[in-house]
Amino acid sequence: MSQFLISRRSALALMGGAAALTFNRLPAHAAGQLKVLNWQGYGTDEKWALELFKQKTGLEVVHDYFTSEQEMLTKVRTSPGIYDVVLMNNIYVMEAAGEGLIQPIDTSKITNFADLTPSLRDSPRFVKDGKHYAISWVWGLTSFAYNTKKISGQPDSIEALWDPSHAGKVGWRDDALESIQMAALATGQDMNAPADMDKVKAKLQALKSQIKTFWSSEDEWNKYMAAGDYDIAVYWSGSAARSKKAMKLPVEFVVPKEGAIGWFDGLTIAANAPNPDGAAQFIDFMVSPEFYVRWDNEVGAPASANAKANAQLPEDALNRKVLGDPEVVKRVQWMAPVSEEQRQKNQEIWDEVKTGFAQ
Amino acid sequence: MGRIVKPYLGVVLAFLYLPIGVMILMAFNRSALYELPFTFDLVWFKALLSNQRLMQASWNSVWIATINAVIATILGTFAAYAFARFEFRAKRVLQLLLFPPITIPWLIIGTSMLIFFFWTGIGRGLHAILLGHVALSLPYVVVVVGARLASFGPQLEEAAATLGATPMQVFLRVTVPVLAPGIVAAALFAFAVSFDQFVISYFLAPPGTSTLPVEIYTAIRKGFTPEINAISSIIILVSMGLMLIVARLYKFGGDQA
Amino acid sequence: MNAAQHRTIAIVGLTAPAYLWLALTVLLPLCAMLYFSFLTFSPMGGHESEFTLKHYASFFEKRIYWYNAWRSIELAMYVTTLCLVVGYPAALGLAKYVKGRWREAIFLLIILPFWSNALVRTFSWTMVLREPLNLLFTYPAIIIGLVHAYLPYAILTCYISLQAIDDALIEAARSLGATQAQAFRRVTLPLSMPGVLAAIFLIFVPVIGSFMEPRILGGKDAIMLGPIIEGQFNAAFNWPLGAALSFTMLTIVLLIILAASPLLRRQLART
Repeated sequence: MSQFLISRRSALALMGGAAALTFNRLPAHAAGQLKVLNWQGYGTDEKWALELFKQKTGLEVVHDYFTSEQEMLTKVRTSPGIYDVVLMNNIYVMEAAGEGLIQPIDTSKITNFADLTPSLRDSPRFVKDGKHYAISWVWGLTSFAYNTKKISGQPDSIEALWDPSHAGKVGWRDDALESIQMAALATGQDMNAPADMDKVKAKLQALKSQIKTFWSSEDEWNKYMAAGDYDIAVYWSGSAARSKKAMKLPVEFVVPKEGAIGWFDGLTIAANAPNPDGAAQFIDFMVSPEFYVRWDNEVGAPASANAKANAQLPEDALNRKVLGDPEVVKRVQWMAPVSEEQRQKNQEIWDEVKTGFAQ
Repeated sequence: MGRIVKPYLGVVLAFLYLPIGVMILMAFNRSALYELPFTFDLVWFKALLSNQRLMQASWNSVWIATINAVIATILGTFAAYAFARFEFRAKRVLQLLLFPPITIPWLIIGTSMLIFFFWTGIGRGLHAILLGHVALSLPYVVVVVGARLASFGPQLEEAAATLGATPMQVFLRVTVPVLAPGIVAAALFAFAVSFDQFVISYFLAPPGTSTLPVEIYTAIRKGFTPEINAISSIIILVSMGLMLIVARLYKFGGDQA
Repeated sequence: MNAAQHRTIAIVGLTAPAYLWLALTVLLPLCAMLYFSFLTFSPMGGHESEFTLKHYASFFEKRIYWYNAWRSIELAMYVTTLCLVVGYPAALGLAKYVKGRWREAIFLLIILPFWSNALVRTFSWTMVLREPLNLLFTYPAIIIGLVHAYLPYAILTCYISLQAIDDALIEAARSLGATQAQAFRRVTLPLSMPGVLAAIFLIFVPVIGSFMEPRILGGKDAIMLGPIIEGQFNAAFNWPLGAALSFTMLTIVLLIILAASPLLRRQLART
């Protein structure tokens, strides 16, 4: 024991004291704070935006993140009274409202409300009994993007992903729902209720020679594209804008003639939110052109539900040129909520396909 | 026989440090996407200095891991000692109960902890994280210290007892020094388990506080810049320094009597 | 108080703190999960649930589950064997042939990689494996990544056991006429079995549930039980199925270890 230079007891005391000091420096649950639950790097946590918001309202915004939508639901369910603002994909909003997880929003508090695209703003996915349970925020497409340096000439068909000349260079996301929807588009079916699931499965199995590896985050997509693992890959429109602008990758997003998967997100206020008024102010800020235009220009974002904000983007911005094009929007199939049974079935089919890949 | 040992160990160490070397190298590379060719740049270290969130998270990780190591090592060593020196009926069951924390995917443990802590009012927070980390470290401590105890056998302790030492004296003067390398290794494992533990911290952390693995894993959604490499490199180099100091102060793994 | 009561108090006192902690934080929550695994629907989802064994049945009925469970076991066997084959000699060398400060230094150097973040480390492997080895996104890549992650466990636990072996025993065996190989086989190896067993426990068991290295390094070959279970929680929100698969896996692992333990106990008995 005498081999220690300082005695064990004083060492422990030192550590305890220092630990107490350190822990005290962590932010406490203070008034003047707003808690937001969202994907990381998805707009609401932009440093400059939070500073602007603090200047306007004096509220400091603190974030918690999720990495899957199921996890978002779990966190909300097990943390009553903790969150103020929660981002939700439209297909979950009614479910959450039905469980009493979110509260109706007083739309008179949202100054930008009138400028929101009506089809999104008043969508039955957000509105029940005349009450808005979410404010539509952004929308985007899932399709694919390609490396303009590796592939010459923009592909106009989703079959490009199955093109043998791109064998071993295709990127795909490991997600059951998305995969089945893409295959449904490729086989000309309704992606929310494909009539012929065998055809969908066969189409997915045909990817075996095509896929190089799966990606599960924007970061991985960027790294694999940059390293040359991918020449063409399934991707989201907002992320494609970011990869091109912020990461400077030579990629272009494509909405082929078969169509693309459309999704839209809304911002909700949690039931028992500590600061519902502050939450409404934050949501209002998020749908304002002031925030949105700068977000898309500097970082890259999905399309805004605020038509006015979208119109203020530069002409060649992806969100204005492609997603703002009515011809393109006509080809979009919008995601619908999925029943538990269907979700389970999808997962099984996808697991079977993946098992087939490994043999 | 002796002559191939050093080269062999060298090869093994080279293997172990190959990705670490790459990781440190990329911390100094300008590209945000690990692109080559390599261009030397300190941009990520500079970015790290202004990244309060990441620094605070790393600091939290270090403290949690340290406290975790202390608690887990003490609790686990006692349990391991009981297993090694006593025979009792419940022993088999208790040993089997060490399996679940290691076998069951941490995602399940994390989810069930979240639910259970929610139901019982323990809630989320640093205390919850610590509760979880110690539980996950315990099997490692018990197994490692147990291996040491099994290899040593009770002869020395019995000898000391026949010479008139009390059980407490036997424990402090004979058992613990003999166990020392095992205890130190177990503590280092426990520290590592906690320091790199993502899932539990992720589920149980209150909004606004974070640990380093959580920062890294959640950042993959957006893109973790090589600031992560920078902080990881700093941690490795600081740990190396600390370890060398510990090695100087405390000679372990040394000679048996 | 008599000796027997003293003994009981000692046993309880030594084991209670650790196990109370485990019970509260891991075992009880897992009991809740075990309960969920017999429900038809996930709790908190707003559905009424009934008792069912169908999730456990699907492990045996659906190929995707039992086949991938086997893939995971196979992977764990490869990784554990490789870790021991590479790690045991390293531990032996370190314990018996390296002396003094060098030994401590190398011991610490072996522990150090533990403290690097696993995700960053794995991504660093993608760089090495891509060029010049060209092994990225293949099954061997998964093995390399996992062996790298778990090798220190093997080296350290074997080292701790080996280093406890009194050199005098080996010298005694040699002086009685045993060759170096015989002394190793009859003295060193059996006495170091606890370390080997510890290594097997700490490597085989977690590798079965691993999902990160397979996912990042394995490309299309990555499907294993770990990712499947994860998918049930993250994508399908089917906790009962995910829990059932996990507990089935736990049972299989326990059965494997229990089946192998008579063999290993015989080894120990020889010491």
